[in-house]
Amino acid sequence: MIAFEHVGKRYGGRFEALSHLNFRVARGEMVFLTGHSGAGKSSLLRLIMRLEKPSRGRVVVAGHDIAQLHASQVPFYRRQIGVVFQDHQLLFDRSVFHNVSLPLDIQGIEPRESARRVRAALDKVGLLHREKALPIELSGGEQQRVGIARAVVNKPALLLADEPTGNLDPQLSADIMGLFEDFNRIGTTVMIASHDLALIAGLRHRIIRLRDGRLVADEGAA
Amino acid sequence: MKRPTGQKPKGAAPRSTRPRAAPQQPQRPAQRGARAQQPRRSSRLRAWARHHRAMALDSLQRLIRYPLGNLLTMLAIAIALVLPAALWLTLDSARLLDAELDDSATLTAYLEISVELPEAKRIEQAVSADEAVQGTRLVSAEQGMADFQQSLGVEDALSGLDDNPLPHSIVVRPGSVDPELMQALAERLDDIAGVDEVRLDLAWVERLRHLAALGTRVALALGVLFGLGVLLVVGNTIRLSVESRRREIEVVMLIGATHAFVRRPFLYSGAWYGFGGGVLALGLLSLGNHWLSLPVAALAESYGASFSLPRLDFTGSTILLSCSTLLGWLGAWLAVSRHLASIRPR
Repeated sequence: MIAFEHVGKRYGGRFEALSHLNFRVARGEMVFLTGHSGAGKSSLLRLIMRLEKPSRGRVVVAGHDIAQLHASQVPFYRRQIGVVFQDHQLLFDRSVFHNVSLPLDIQGIEPRESARRVRAALDKVGLLHREKALPIELSGGEQQRVGIARAVVNKPALLLADEPTGNLDPQLSADIMGLFEDFNRIGTTVMIASHDLALIAGLRHRIIRLRDGRLVADEGAA
Repeated sequence: MKRPTGQKPKGAAPRSTRPRAAPQQPQRPAQRGARAQQPRRSSRLRAWARHHRAMALDSLQRLIRYPLGNLLTMLAIAIALVLPAALWLTLDSARLLDAELDDSATLTAYLEISVELPEAKRIEQAVSADEAVQGTRLVSAEQGMADFQQSLGVEDALSGLDDNPLPHSIVVRPGSVDPELMQALAERLDDIAGVDEVRLDLAWVERLRHLAALGTRVALALGVLFGLGVLLVVGNTIRLSVESRRREIEVVMLIGATHAFVRRPFLYSGAWYGFGGGVLALGLLSLGNHWLSLPVAALAESYGASFSLPRLDFTGSTILLSCSTLLGWLGAWLAVSRHLASIRPR
């Protein structure tokens, strides 16, 4: 599903955020990406989302070198990846329902079908009863779950998450991770960046450790 | 993306039949055959039309939400449109006047004083034989005197004269009002025996023409300048609204919105601004017309003429509205395109 081949990423010519990264993630795998802040977790995810191109090497997703994508193809590529952000990136001027339906609106899904899928996604994260609420009325954990619903409403083959439990207490964090495991169980490839070692160590999935932009450990590979 | 119903085992060979994340086939896999393509294309068209409708409505609602500020923007557009439009209307009425002047562009051939009326009639026939002549009218000396007295407004001032000092004259309406042709005609008429002098006074007609041509150019230049003004007004307004919705734009671009999708609501806002400005401009024009019509009518009457200010007819109004809407759309397009390049999802 994902292959990094000798990937390096420099910013501003000197600072090397990632160097000589080599790893593969198989379809249907669930992988944690860990390391101190600044170790390159976010940069790695940004490369997969094609927000940036690698300075060296190739990033191959679903068999395609994504650096080769034409700018006009990038939006269509991104539609196939669900992303959960640490700061949710919800829009506060519209309801939970309309936040979750955003990816479907972008794709021009017919409204009745769209509503059905939005409710299914909200049901999955346990927020069906809050569909009319504004994001500001929700707790941090609920906002994060809206973000997850938006990421999966499109049934993406690949789900990325950047510190999805960053600001949550342990119980809520465990709930959120449980949600990701559910999606993984139905075949979605999941990649989660997190520095919460205590939490992810207990989940028995593959863990890729980064330090200063280098891969230092790859444990429990399937 | 539809998920395959049966989950394939990991590493199962060719996945090319349904590449879930195959970027080269952005609009879902095409391998299902041409028959399946047809409804999909039509449904994509429907989705596109649906989004256009939704954005047209959404941008209108956003305008209505802040009525005062947006009304001021539209008023600025309207004022920029009114000036060239009013000038254009004025020129249009000048052209109408010009057409009447064409009719009154005539030559007058004064006959020698010794020529008697029967002889004058013969000369008139000779004149109308010239192919450059469209029509003639013989004005006898008596008629000429009567006209002259009438135009002086004093009935009997000249009745003390023993003899009528005026000759018979022939008013000639030429086929063409081209100055050179008229000059040549005048020379030919002058050569006819019995014709004393041929008068043609075209200078003022010419001057009026030049003035109208100048006015047309001024109107055009003003139109272009004020059109640019409309672009700037709309562009600046849209720039601010892009800025205020920057976060939203970043988010939708993160989850796969195309530039066209992002641009659409702003283009509609621009078009609405232009349309609203056009409607206000029409209102201002008709208000101005109403306000000026009385003094203009009074002025025209004092010259013994009937003249009313021109109004924009249906075609003119449609053209004005289309132009303003198009200008608004274009201004928005320029503003959004410039800004989209600078907005990158974080």
